[in-house]
Amino acid sequence: MLKFLQERVNTGTKEFDAKTEADKAVAQAQDEADLLSTRQGRVQGLMRKLATKLNKENHVEEGR
Amino acid sequence: MRSAMVLTLLLSTGVAMAQDPEVQVQNPFQPFDQARFLDEAGEIGATAQQIRQFAVDIEEYGLTTAADMLLRAAVPAFDAAVRLQEDADPAAALELTKVLAAADKSLLRAHVRYHLAEVFLDSDDPEAAVEVLGDYIRSDINHSPLDGEVAFYYAQALAEIPYAELAIPRFRAFLQWFPQASERFRSAAHQQILELERQQESRLHNLADRMKKTRRDLKKKKTNKPIQIEQEKFVEELQELIEMFEEMERQAGGPPSGNGPSANPATQSGLPEGDGSVGQLNNRPTLADRWGDMKDRDREKIEAEVQSGLPPQYRKMLEQYYKRLGTSSDRR
Repeated sequence: MLKFLQERVNTGTKEFDAKTEADKAVAQAQDEADLLSTRQGRVQGLMRKLATKLNKENHVEEGR
Repeated sequence: MRSAMVLTLLLSTGVAMAQDPEVQVQNPFQPFDQARFLDEAGEIGATAQQIRQFAVDIEEYGLTTAADMLLRAAVPAFDAAVRLQEDADPAAALELTKVLAAADKSLLRAHVRYHLAEVFLDSDDPEAAVEVLGDYIRSDINHSPLDGEVAFYYAQALAEIPYAELAIPRFRAFLQWFPQASERFRSAAHQQILELERQQESRLHNLADRMKKTRRDLKKKKTNKPIQIEQEKFVEELQELIEMFEEMERQAGGPPSGNGPSANPATQSGLPEGDGSVGQLNNRPTLADRWGDMKDRDREKIEAEVQSGLPPQYRKMLEQYYKRLGTSSDRR
């Protein structure tokens, strides 16, 4: 799922970057950039949760 | 600009780059000299009565808050700017920077920079906080009792960017150089070191850190080739991780752990609990909220003042700050 979500952000990033500078300057473009950022943040949050969970499990394993 | 900032961090501050637990860099901080502080406060304009009140305030509020109260009493423009900060008024950064630009004494600059850093951290802008706290460490240390907290928040801001490899030695330096600092800050520094070291050892945490940086870049409409290449690497690394977990599953004869819901969700690194020793950090509308709620003409007035009323080095800092604040505000 993480990979799928990241690929979606990547596609959005490329589409945004393809806009002209004039198109990037309008308010709607800021909304799109914010949405991309939010989606990247969502992937980051899930990755962090997974990393923390696996770290904890590793420490439990090592403690046995 | 970011790489230039990192270079500055590496070369100029003199604050702990050592990787060993024991910090090898010479401590640039001297013990707080209250007599010197009061002399300098007098030069800035503190009256004898305000200085007497300072002695009373130490008992009630502690040294750092009392020192800040004294400076606020002595410099009305500084007090007015901090009041804006307390009200989460977006003009706070501008007014604090105006006081900073006009200040000719290190003591006043130190306190203004401390408050500016608070404003930036409050606005989820750790890069700007690093910049202003770095200026404090380069130019204004050994004048105010705020030095210890500045050393802590500098490391904290680096950790939030996230530059873990730069933050860890600075947290260590803080612990070594400020043994008398509040237990709240010391235990938070210990906790941060442990957390950051654990994250550095983990490929997954490292990936999350890089994603965090990209999230900030996207928020600033940075979508150019380097960002796209970094995002492609995320996908490649996720693919490698998937393959690694699949291999683990095959070897273990069952599904790898980590696919189910967490029984114990991630702990979040953060600032020490409780009030900051200077200023108010109560629940309130954020600066970005307030910026978004302002009338266009009020926003334009602030932006015009940034353009016309400040020296170039501060103008650039605030231009970026208000740009990011606008981005955060639009997102809400």
